Amino acid sequence: MFDAIRGHLAASAPHDAVRAAHHAAAAHGEDVSARDEKSAAVVFEGTAVERFRQALEAVAGRCFVVKDEAEAAEVLRQIAGQRKSQRVAVSDSPLAGRVLKLAGLPAEVLENAAVGELFDSDLGVTGAQWGVGETGTLVLESDAERHRLASLIPSAHVALLEARNVRHTLGEVLRAINERGEGGLSRAITFITGPSRTSDIELTLAIGVHGPAELYVVVIGGEGNG
Amino acid sequence: MHQQTSETFDRNAREALADVQLRGALRNLATTFGGRRKEAIATVEDWEGLRDRARAAKDETLAHLDKYLEQFVGNAEKAGAQIHWARDGAEACRIVLDLIRARGASRLVKSKSMATEEIHLNAALEAEGLAPVETDLGEWIIQLAHETPSHIVVPAIHKSKRQIAELFAEKVGIEPTDDVAVLTGAARRILRRSFAEAEVGISGVNFGVAETGTILILENEGNARLTTSLPRTHIAVMGIEKVIPKFTDLDVFLKLLPRSGTGQRLTAYQSLITGTKRRPEDEGPEELHLVLMDNGRSRMLSHPVTRQSLACIRCGACLNACPVYQQVGGHAYGSVYPGPIGAVITPQLSGLKQSAQLPYASSLCGACREVCPVKIDIPELLLHLRAEVTEGTAAGTAAQHGPVKSRPLERLAFGLYARAWSSPTLYLWGARVARLLQGAVVRKGRIGKVGGLLAKLAPPLAAWTEWRDAPPLAPRTFREQWREEQKR
Repeated sequence: MFDAIRGHLAASAPHDAVRAAHHAAAAHGEDVSARDEKSAAVVFEGTAVERFRQALEAVAGRCFVVKDEAEAAEVLRQIAGQRKSQRVAVSDSPLAGRVLKLAGLPAEVLENAAVGELFDSDLGVTGAQWGVGETGTLVLESDAERHRLASLIPSAHVALLEARNVRHTLGEVLRAINERGEGGLSRAITFITGPSRTSDIELTLAIGVHGPAELYVVVIGGEGNG
Repeated sequence: MHQQTSETFDRNAREALADVQLRGALRNLATTFGGRRKEAIATVEDWEGLRDRARAAKDETLAHLDKYLEQFVGNAEKAGAQIHWARDGAEACRIVLDLIRARGASRLVKSKSMATEEIHLNAALEAEGLAPVETDLGEWIIQLAHETPSHIVVPAIHKSKRQIAELFAEKVGIEPTDDVAVLTGAARRILRRSFAEAEVGISGVNFGVAETGTILILENEGNARLTTSLPRTHIAVMGIEKVIPKFTDLDVFLKLLPRSGTGQRLTAYQSLITGTKRRPEDEGPEELHLVLMDNGRSRMLSHPVTRQSLACIRCGACLNACPVYQQVGGHAYGSVYPGPIGAVITPQLSGLKQSAQLPYASSLCGACREVCPVKIDIPELLLHLRAEVTEGTAAGTAAQHGPVKSRPLERLAFGLYARAWSSPTLYLWGARVARLLQGAVVRKGRIGKVGGLLAKLAPPLAAWTEWRDAPPLAPRTFREQWREEQKR
């Protein structure tokens, strides 16, 4: 197959030369790379956490900004209480473990839940490694925690996010992950922006198809780093 | 209704125009997605700059596709993925089938993938007694209805809520309802059973990162996450053009694709999967198989005009913006890929012979080029393919699919046209003759409906004047008027 690719690319060379000459003659070649920084420029005035909250709520997610883990536990207790949660699946995130312990929910808490148990859980609790302000996106990495199923199968997902890990742009997060090098790239990275949704029937928005119908993000660490 | 193929586009289109329900659905699509797209692109500062950067990244990859594919494959293998090469659709289907058979698997879930639609994977698996379950809501609907997608992003856009409710009542036994939330809830409940017991998950790929060997899948529902997380084996089918050079290039494409497609800043979920899990106790499949498919793509590399077709990121914006698609919908094209992008890639993938009508299914208005996030010059491609049709050559495709039936009359007409328009004498003479002849058809200063013998002699004139007047040539040309002015 590589032979086919190389053969066809070689066949294109004369046409490419004609094109290149044509473009050079037209000389409207604006330097594309010079625009890089401009398009990444931040227009938002407030902190990254505030930006995250607004963007998340615009896509039907709920966001709570709290001072510390004790307050996060209180928020978690309220959510579980309102939903009358019976079974809570939790990832192996140390933060999620601590907050769940502080919350002391009157529910069965499953660590390392089997798939069948997950389908019977009504609340999933995980951490999140990054937040993205411009889109209200959570970024979860498999090397940091086993997040894939607890954040996906239960009908509601609570994510605990440290304010210092919230950035303004997705570009910043991608660069930070990339700079760690080969060993620092998790085998599964999940971006989550709001609850599961579809518009497949007459383009009418319906929330909660296959993933959680409710997404709550608790940002811990007060005002954040801006 | 007759069997709709690309060869019967004219007839398909006429039937579609008479379908009132379809026209309503398409109007809804154009206004809803068109409006949302406009709002979404206003949230980035330099949309034009982003488009240029995305196109530059795609051009770079395609110009050195061998190099980037090697890099992608090397890194994916290092992370535990197994690579399979498929020269065409049949080979890709066989690879998937063999993988399923070797595992003794029968419970299959699928997430939405145009690549697997392109190769008719479901039909190939069903022919072998397997029953893959489509899990994207739109794809599931059309699978239940035994239909094909009519849009690359919202495959069931041609169906009304009522039709879907009746379909669900018949196939899965729920009470008919016009509540979309209830219909969606039924899909969730029923498909969860399929997910819980699935042995193999089959997905497509939106981007493959050469630098890391990562594949990225975008979605809104969560079914792609379930498909790629729960089963023991994950098979991803990807076209060889899906590769991009760098991990950080994803930033640009993730800004462009959702905004162009559904008018979202970002779709609800992105899964970035690099090989298989690191430790046995981690979540996710034991095996990841990447099926890298050519199926006519490498041929498009052989000319810069056709090569740009491979820059497409399948957002569907050109469908939503196209005045032809807006009227006739996706099925009229008789091909897996409809709309402007379908009209240019279908003839290249499956041969001009069967789809010679598609490059003509356009008014060349350029709306597609205007909205394309990677600036594919679709009108240029349409003209390139029309030239191949009239020349009867279809250089690349002839060898693969047999010669194309040429259009000698069209060649003759445009040959004369070109001659007349490039010589001032011929042009003036021609105008004079035309003015004399038009006396026969001009009524009250307009050319109305043309019938009788003339309609037989000049079918295009008859077709044009059936629904609207044609403006006649002015009684005196500008040159004549000018000359008289000078004399005074």
